[in-house]
Amino acid sequence: MPDELELKLTSTFTYDIQSNITLIREILGHSVDLVQRDFVFHQEKQIRGVLFYTDGLIDKEEINKALKTLINRSEEIMRSCIGAPMGDELTENIKTYLLNNASVNQSNKVQDAIDGILSGDTAIIIDRTEQVIILTSRGADARSIDEPQTEQVVRGPRDGFTENIRTNTALVRRRIRDPRFRVDSMKIGKKSKTDVNIAYLNGTAKEGLVDEVKKRLARIEIDAVIDSGYIEELIEDAPFSPFTTVQSTERPDKVASSIFEGRVAIFVDNSPFVLTAPAYFWQFLQASDDYYSRYMSGTFFRLMRYIAFILSLTLPSLYVLLISFHQEMIPTPLALTIASGREVIPFPVLLEALIMEISFELMREAGLRMPKPVGQAVSIVGSLVIGQAAVQAGVVSPFMVIIVALTGIASFAIPNYGASFSIRLIRFPLLIASGTLGLLGFASMFTIIAIHALSLRSFGEAYLSPATPFKPSDQKDFLIRMPWWRMDTNAQLAEGEQYRLGEHQVPSPPPKEVDKEDDKGQKPPEKKKSKNDGDAQSSKQSLVKIRRKKRKWGQKDEK
Amino acid sequence: MRVQISNGMFMAIIINMVYAKAIGITQGSLAREVGNDMWMSTIFSTLQGIMMILIVTYVIKRTPKMDIFEQSELLLGKIFSKIIALFFFIFFLFAFGGVIATFVYHLKDFFLPDAPLLLFIIAAFIMGVYGIFFGLEVIGRMALIGVFSIVALNVLIILGSLSEFRVEELEPIFESGFLSTLWASRHNDTDWLMATMMAAIVLPHVGKHETWGKSGMIGIGLGGLFVVLWPILQTGVLTSEVTAQYFVACMQMARSAHIGLFLHRYELIMVAFFAISALIQIMMTFLCASIAVQRLFGLKDYRPVIVPVALILCGGGYWLVFDHQIAMDFLERTWVYVALSIGFGVPLLLLGIGFLFKKKIRKTNMEASS
Repeated sequence: MPDELELKLTSTFTYDIQSNITLIREILGHSVDLVQRDFVFHQEKQIRGVLFYTDGLIDKEEINKALKTLINRSEEIMRSCIGAPMGDELTENIKTYLLNNASVNQSNKVQDAIDGILSGDTAIIIDRTEQVIILTSRGADARSIDEPQTEQVVRGPRDGFTENIRTNTALVRRRIRDPRFRVDSMKIGKKSKTDVNIAYLNGTAKEGLVDEVKKRLARIEIDAVIDSGYIEELIEDAPFSPFTTVQSTERPDKVASSIFEGRVAIFVDNSPFVLTAPAYFWQFLQASDDYYSRYMSGTFFRLMRYIAFILSLTLPSLYVLLISFHQEMIPTPLALTIASGREVIPFPVLLEALIMEISFELMREAGLRMPKPVGQAVSIVGSLVIGQAAVQAGVVSPFMVIIVALTGIASFAIPNYGASFSIRLIRFPLLIASGTLGLLGFASMFTIIAIHALSLRSFGEAYLSPATPFKPSDQKDFLIRMPWWRMDTNAQLAEGEQYRLGEHQVPSPPPKEVDKEDDKGQKPPEKKKSKNDGDAQSSKQSLVKIRRKKRKWGQKDEK
Repeated sequence: MRVQISNGMFMAIIINMVYAKAIGITQGSLAREVGNDMWMSTIFSTLQGIMMILIVTYVIKRTPKMDIFEQSELLLGKIFSKIIALFFFIFFLFAFGGVIATFVYHLKDFFLPDAPLLLFIIAAFIMGVYGIFFGLEVIGRMALIGVFSIVALNVLIILGSLSEFRVEELEPIFESGFLSTLWASRHNDTDWLMATMMAAIVLPHVGKHETWGKSGMIGIGLGGLFVVLWPILQTGVLTSEVTAQYFVACMQMARSAHIGLFLHRYELIMVAFFAISALIQIMMTFLCASIAVQRLFGLKDYRPVIVPVALILCGGGYWLVFDHQIAMDFLERTWVYVALSIGFGVPLLLLGIGFLFKKKIRKTNMEASS
């Protein structure tokens, strides 16, 4: 049966309209949403035509417009045909003179027509010609552009990706008005035939990176792609690692800035999550706010997130190893407080920590899956009522509740959900190793995780870069976020033009004299030549020298 | 294609390769021999280390694409190369004794006295094997983190002990005599020789060969700076008499450090930083010993011999650290003789042979470049 279908799909149309209609019906069957609209040309009633489209995927206005033109203005076509109205000439003339839709193609391949119909295009089959006109009429109802649900910002754009691939590419295109911006297309999925777009900035993306992305995408053989998550798992560098080596985001501004930094974006139809590659681990700890707020607050909150990362990864393990093995390391007053809380607890501290961690994960998962109002109730009951009751019943110590809650909050401070999950996942082996072997277990497991992370690469780039391997020029946007007027060079990943800022971008107030003028701020007074001009000149020269030196250093660094 | 590491990574590996044992165990040996002058002795050995790294760099630079085994084969044939490989294996087998003693005694004696010894050996085995399985580049990247840890550890120890530092404890300088101080530097030389012998294997993998010498010198110089801080603080805070009483003197130092009244014990944090350096020593010893065995048996890759080599090294290490007295005797006598004879002997021998076969080297280089 599939062979027969394959045979029909690879065949071509004939001059007989009835056999063409039968062929399409045989392939697509009689689904209720498959619409067949017959018509005749008003001036040449003997020539039949038929439109095939899928209801719900099309823009009815486009089809009405085309139909009206075909029926009522057929005289012009007939006149333009040299001989009898038939064959390629007929379809070519309809396409050229009659249809004023934005995109019209023609093909004699059955596969093209079927793909078009199933994607929301309209196939126009006309008698006496083996060519089918494929009219772009896509217009399915789609969710409007909304604020991203998983990556919210205090300051910054509020638009997020939708399930429509073209809307998504347009959201990025609006931010990159560079003629070198490219969006290439391919289809993945034998049955789903999902549209996948690869976007990059030509000349900025590293040589070979785009080809590598396309190569990895091209080797995917799968029946259906429902979300970009499928693609992510099929192209990543380390499939057995808990770390994610491809970034996914709902934010167009994030994708645009990634493209400016030389990355490649992968858009998947029907998914509001766009993938960007290559990815560095530290990227997952950076939020869009960092760049939109002033650099001091951006840096402060970024540092907070680094602290959150450390807490999220190590806090329960350190607590367990200190309580179980190295009590002498805890300051005495603190040790006494903890001991008084643990006096009635029947479980060893490792078990206590595991119970609490698993309970927390359960509550988080339940809160996420429940309908929103119920989810909130579950969170309140779980965190407050059960937590309080567990402490009072002597099942867990108050200090453990604090530790687990702090760890949970810290893990939610990590902006990327995927990265936050990776950290939560590796926390467990670390916790078990610390609880069983103390410092030795913690150090061993931490080292194994570190070696693993150090060995990872994302599309050829070291995963822990720019920390190790150390890239000096990328340090401006790593632990801290330098002011925009200091971030004068592009990321090391980006190729082509190295400088992103003009010279002397540090803002400064106008000279003091302006303040004294009545019309202050309107026209700065002309500079008077003075003795100090020489100094100013020399300081300017020295600034240029420093800048030249810096540039040389940057080039060296790149080499 | 050979794995390439940057010059920065090479420097970081040198620093880590030396640091853990040099501050952990060597200082006790120096204190027992020259008392207050242990820091002077450390400076002397650093200077000797710089001299040796320059010699090794010069030797390897003659044929920059060949490591020391390949150069030996070029100079005097396969058998000579295998003898050199055997010497290297013996060197790193003995070196592992000091490395594992550093790792085990720091953790077992001060944090987990009741844990079985085998547990520490197994942990070292697993981490070392896992690390070198990914190769030199990953160790190089880890070494960069190691340097950060070393800096953090040094800052913590300064913060915790400077308030009790008495400069008069350092006086008089050369109390035990200039020659004795110089002679005592042999203990610390064994640490530097681990780095120079490692460099003889690793250098062809380092990016810019024009700056090998400079990188090596800076690596040892910075390492020396990080290490010498400890004997100075130990003398000024603990006094050399107290330092001499301990096998792992640096832990006693760390234990006595405190910041204010609340943070009176933070050696756990310091050991966490220290562990990276100790682990890099373990990994690099495994790696160098595996490469030596690979060359000894003429294998194409070192990976198949990682596990057997690590088992031999860990077996030897287990026997050694089982008894503190045996370990101390080994580190202060046997290891010193082996390290000095092979560590100084092999590079100097190759330096001399290289002068005799200058034309052969030149011809090979010309052929390689053409």
